Amino acid sequence: MALIELKAVSKIYRVGNQQVAAVQDFSLEVETGEFCVLAGPSGSGKTTLLNLIGCLDRPTSGEVWLAGQDVTRAGEKALADIRLNKIGFIFQAYNLIPVLTAAENAEFTLMLMGMAKKNRRQRVLELFSELGLDGLENRKPADLSGGQQQRVAIVRAMVAEPAVILADEPTASLDSQASEELMILMQKLNRERNATFIFSSHDPLVISHARRVIKLLDGHLEQEL
Amino acid sequence: MLYRLALRNIWRNRRRTLLTLSAMIVSSALLILCLGVFSGMLRDLLATATEQYYGHLVISARGYQDDRDLFRYFSDRESLSFLSHTDVILGTSPRLRNFGLLSHRQDSAPAEVLGILPEREKKVTGLQDALVAGTYLSANDHDGVVLGSGLARRLGVAPGAQLVFVTQAADGSIGNDLLTVRGVFRTGDAGHDNSLALVPLIWLQNILTLPGQLHEIAVRTNQPLNAAVLAERFRKRLPDSLEILDWGQMLPEMREVVASYDVSRMIIVTILYIATGLGILNTFFMSVMERTREFGVLKALGMKPGQIRWMVFLETLFMGCLALVCGVVVGVALSLYMARFGIDLSGTLTPITYAGGTILPRLYAVIEPANIIIPAACLLFVSLLAGFFPARRAARMQPIDAIRED
Ligand SMILES: Nc1ncnc2c1ncn2[C@@H]1O[C@H](COP(=O)(O)OP(=O)(O)OP(=O)(O)O)[C@@H](O)[C@H]1O
Ligand SMILES: [Mg+2]
Repeated sequence: MALIELKAVSKIYRVGNQQVAAVQDFSLEVETGEFCVLAGPSGSGKTTLLNLIGCLDRPTSGEVWLAGQDVTRAGEKALADIRLNKIGFIFQAYNLIPVLTAAENAEFTLMLMGMAKKNRRQRVLELFSELGLDGLENRKPADLSGGQQQRVAIVRAMVAEPAVILADEPTASLDSQASEELMILMQKLNRERNATFIFSSHDPLVISHARRVIKLLDGHLEQEL
Repeated sequence: MLYRLALRNIWRNRRRTLLTLSAMIVSSALLILCLGVFSGMLRDLLATATEQYYGHLVISARGYQDDRDLFRYFSDRESLSFLSHTDVILGTSPRLRNFGLLSHRQDSAPAEVLGILPEREKKVTGLQDALVAGTYLSANDHDGVVLGSGLARRLGVAPGAQLVFVTQAADGSIGNDLLTVRGVFRTGDAGHDNSLALVPLIWLQNILTLPGQLHEIAVRTNQPLNAAVLAERFRKRLPDSLEILDWGQMLPEMREVVASYDVSRMIIVTILYIATGLGILNTFFMSVMERTREFGVLKALGMKPGQIRWMVFLETLFMGCLALVCGVVVGVALSLYMARFGIDLSGTLTPITYAGGTILPRLYAVIEPANIIIPAACLLFVSLLAGFFPARRAARMQPIDAIRED
């Protein structure tokens, strides 16, 4: 069975008395260890799709299955548990917690899982050195560059080894060199740790790094490469 | 880490937190001080009535206190020894009383003359501390008198002057004798200052032809607010012909005043804390709404609504506790200062006699546990309540809406 399965998913927003179909009748399967990108112009439904996969939102119709579980039927608390244990998020705006240090940010999910402080710090520091963040663990996000913040966010997303890591336009706030480095890093993590990545982008350079490209247009699957 | 996160969130907007904290601290400190001063006024009111004249408890022949009839007396040999075997009693004073005319040369004035044993009376009332001229009666004085300042003015006398007292004695004859003014007291209570005179008990017993007889025994206890309960306890052990009254029975209005104090205290506390609470609520809400996006991220990371609620709640709890400690410290310090030094207003205000007691023209505080515990508990309650709604709001935010918000 596929890790992620979308079955005829639609998400319809109501704006005033108009209905906007952000995603319409969309089906998709993603296996463990894939590295795929949702590509498409602005407004094509990339964010909406990622939110649906990430259990941040519920579809208007259709089903979302994650690791053999129908998450469309799960309750509020169960969804929080799924997000905590199965999903890692990387946001475009990094969204680190400003009052926590880099390491505290990175170990946040492990803390929520109840892991002992020593163990989680050790795991975070391992990833920090792998991502070139040595010595930055006690800095607050405000004292880090954009690229460094994004790497801390990556550590936060993957330190608990979730089933899938979702990233909505992870390079949008980075310059092209930092974007390139980030993509190479994510590819490496994908290869070496068999981490599943799904990210969105409309940057051709970024898209070119993906092994699977899912092209979206107006909420439909346009083309798959 | 949730605790650390909550603590750091508090100090995120330092200025706002300090302003909110100081509002909480100032309001609770001032409240503690105010209640202390109110209690001080109440204590003055009660003390002027009971500790200058009535005593906290009075034992007398049945019905005597209703009309103070000369003939309702009892023997000083009644067995009241149980009074000396209890540690709640600070003093007992046997008294005989009659009304009559005091005169000095051409001037005369009606007076209430109270026969006392000076050393015993001093342990029940504090008139010796209210002297404005001369001295109190000494233990072996047999024709001295200490009188109120109004009475002294009316008669135009000062210590050393001779007075004549004329009254009706118990055997129907007219009793009269000479007295020498020893001292003049001023309590602020016009009733006492204008008509009360203290004389030696034996002297009055002789004039009234009532040797060995008393009208009352005034009692002072260390639990004035508990006097009714003590009276009940002693009542059973009294001979049938005698009765014991507490100050609440002698001064029903005073009892009402004391009882209504508890109500007015709650009203003041409520009004002040509704105002403070709305201020805190506003701040807490602002701080939560500003962090909408952050709560969305925390939820996306897998934090449960309950954990978010708890985190926000902890922030307000920490602030409440901090304000509480500081507020109590400042409030108690101010109250201690006011208890020690007080503010004398006798230059601008005259004493007010009310409900049988006197509100003295001074501000001074009494430290009572309730005056600290009530504001402290209310502050904590209000800040928890003011934290509850923002916490619930934060917990209910939908992650996508929250994250999208820019
Ligand atoms: N909350 C909402 N209410 C109404 N319409 C919405 C809402 N969210 C998204 N939409 C609409 O749904 C469509 C898809 O939006 P979505 O954000 O998924 O696109 P996107 O591909 O992520 O675009 P971008 O590249 O600009 O981020 C758009 O037309 C958008 O206007
Ligand atoms: Mg988007």
